[in-house]
Amino acid sequence: MNIYFHELRSYRKNTIIWVLSVGAATVMFLSMFTIYYESAGELVRLFQAFPDAILKAFGMDVAKIATLPGFYSFILGFLVLCGAIQAMNLGISALGREATGKTADFLLTKPVTRTQVITAKLLAVLTHLAVSSAVFLLVASASAFSVSAGGFDYGTFLMMTLSFFYVQLIFAALGFLVSVIVPKIKSVLPVSLSTVFGFYIVGMVGAALNDDRIYYLSPFKYFDPAYIAQYSAYQPQYAAVGAAVVILAVAAGYLIYKNKDIHAV
Amino acid sequence: MNVFRRELRANRRSLIFWCLGMALIILTAMGKYAGMAAAGEQSISDFIKMMPASVQAVMGMSGLDLSDARSFFVVIYMYVALMAAIHASMLGAVIIAKEERDRTSEFLFVKPMTRAGIVTSKLLAAVTNAAVLNLVTFAVSFAVMGQLAKGQPFAAGLARMMLGLFLLQLLFLSVGSASAAIIGRPRASTGVAAGIMLFTFLLSSAIDINSDWDVLKFLTPFKYFPARDMMLDGGFTVFYVALAVGVAAVLTVAAYYFFKRRDLRV
Repeated sequence: MNIYFHELRSYRKNTIIWVLSVGAATVMFLSMFTIYYESAGELVRLFQAFPDAILKAFGMDVAKIATLPGFYSFILGFLVLCGAIQAMNLGISALGREATGKTADFLLTKPVTRTQVITAKLLAVLTHLAVSSAVFLLVASASAFSVSAGGFDYGTFLMMTLSFFYVQLIFAALGFLVSVIVPKIKSVLPVSLSTVFGFYIVGMVGAALNDDRIYYLSPFKYFDPAYIAQYSAYQPQYAAVGAAVVILAVAAGYLIYKNKDIHAV
Repeated sequence: MNVFRRELRANRRSLIFWCLGMALIILTAMGKYAGMAAAGEQSISDFIKMMPASVQAVMGMSGLDLSDARSFFVVIYMYVALMAAIHASMLGAVIIAKEERDRTSEFLFVKPMTRAGIVTSKLLAAVTNAAVLNLVTFAVSFAVMGQLAKGQPFAAGLARMMLGLFLLQLLFLSVGSASAAIIGRPRASTGVAAGIMLFTFLLSSAIDINSDWDVLKFLTPFKYFPARDMMLDGGFTVFYVALAVGVAAVLTVAAYYFFKRRDLRV
């Protein structure tokens, strides 16, 4: 319990900065909806000229494109990207900082098992991510309601917003796995930035090529905003892969760390 | 000279990974594109042409004819630039901050070299790394475009893009090294560099979606060298080149100025 509270406290400032930045970005992007909506009528007319087959291939529904969830699907990716960086930082730092700060021997000689240490640390990370996602949900909902004059489909909006949390979980788990495999991560940010942006770019390239097999390679596409906006549902095959990644990464992390040599200073 | 060589060696492995990653992105994207073009999906490019501007913008496809390989490369360039910017800003920050992070500053800074001399060696090593990444990107793109361009001229356009990319890299290198030189706490300085990078990326995407914000273009380096102008219309905007060089120069001078004067954390 002490470890849990210590970890909670030590990431507090970091989380506050992230929450404020993501909140500001959310307000900035969602405030654009009014401008977008003004040109929506023209947009719908353009789309109606297309044969259904092509529209389907691009996952676009004429009725949905001019709604708030339709617009939200274009911008959500950027916000999820920020959330993913935050999550991966936390996932890597949780155990990694004991090795880099040379405090691993101090912590592990305490009368707690390694399993308990990992559990406490992961729970602290989970708490921080849950709080961040909850604040994000509040800010996003509030801005959505204030910019949309005529109301919108909140269920769909909620499903899309929650994907922020799911993607965070995936990247936190990946970060945790990386931190137990790599002996010493001296700088956390370069590792997490390149990993997260790498997956992001893979997803965007997949979208530009309109190839959903590439989507399996990018956690950002496991909860594809465009798909959710259109069908108000998650895609079970991708969600399952996402869940599997989290479970496997965490389980492997426990196993590896329990049996790993820890170097004392 | 020793510091320069030491830094080159220290960054070699990460540089190789970055080059591989960059090559992989370009090769898979353009390779997939080749498959698509071979299947003759003309309808897709017609469709994209008629998409509303904001949708095109989010996909990075504004005003492009995707049946032309050069246009598709313009779409991919956005991600190439993003990767190069991450590499440069992190490299610039870490190469200055690492001595304090690893508690080796006492070892290095008692050597018979001035602080400015050490910073110069480190920055030269960082620029060399950035240049290698740039050249590898150039070589891979050149080879791929040679296969796909169907006789359309691309060499000059590609060279301009890579020159723009190099200016972008220098700019973000200076952002990273200035933040590390000024701030002093290693973790905070990479954080600031990453924050600036992320902010400018988000701002550039926001400008894509919302053209009312075009006046803010000068705030984000990702908008200084628009890939489409480099590749198709030919030409840098003097204002943005001057701005990029100016900002990089000011930040580099600031890095020297503050690093020479501040207390080192030991």
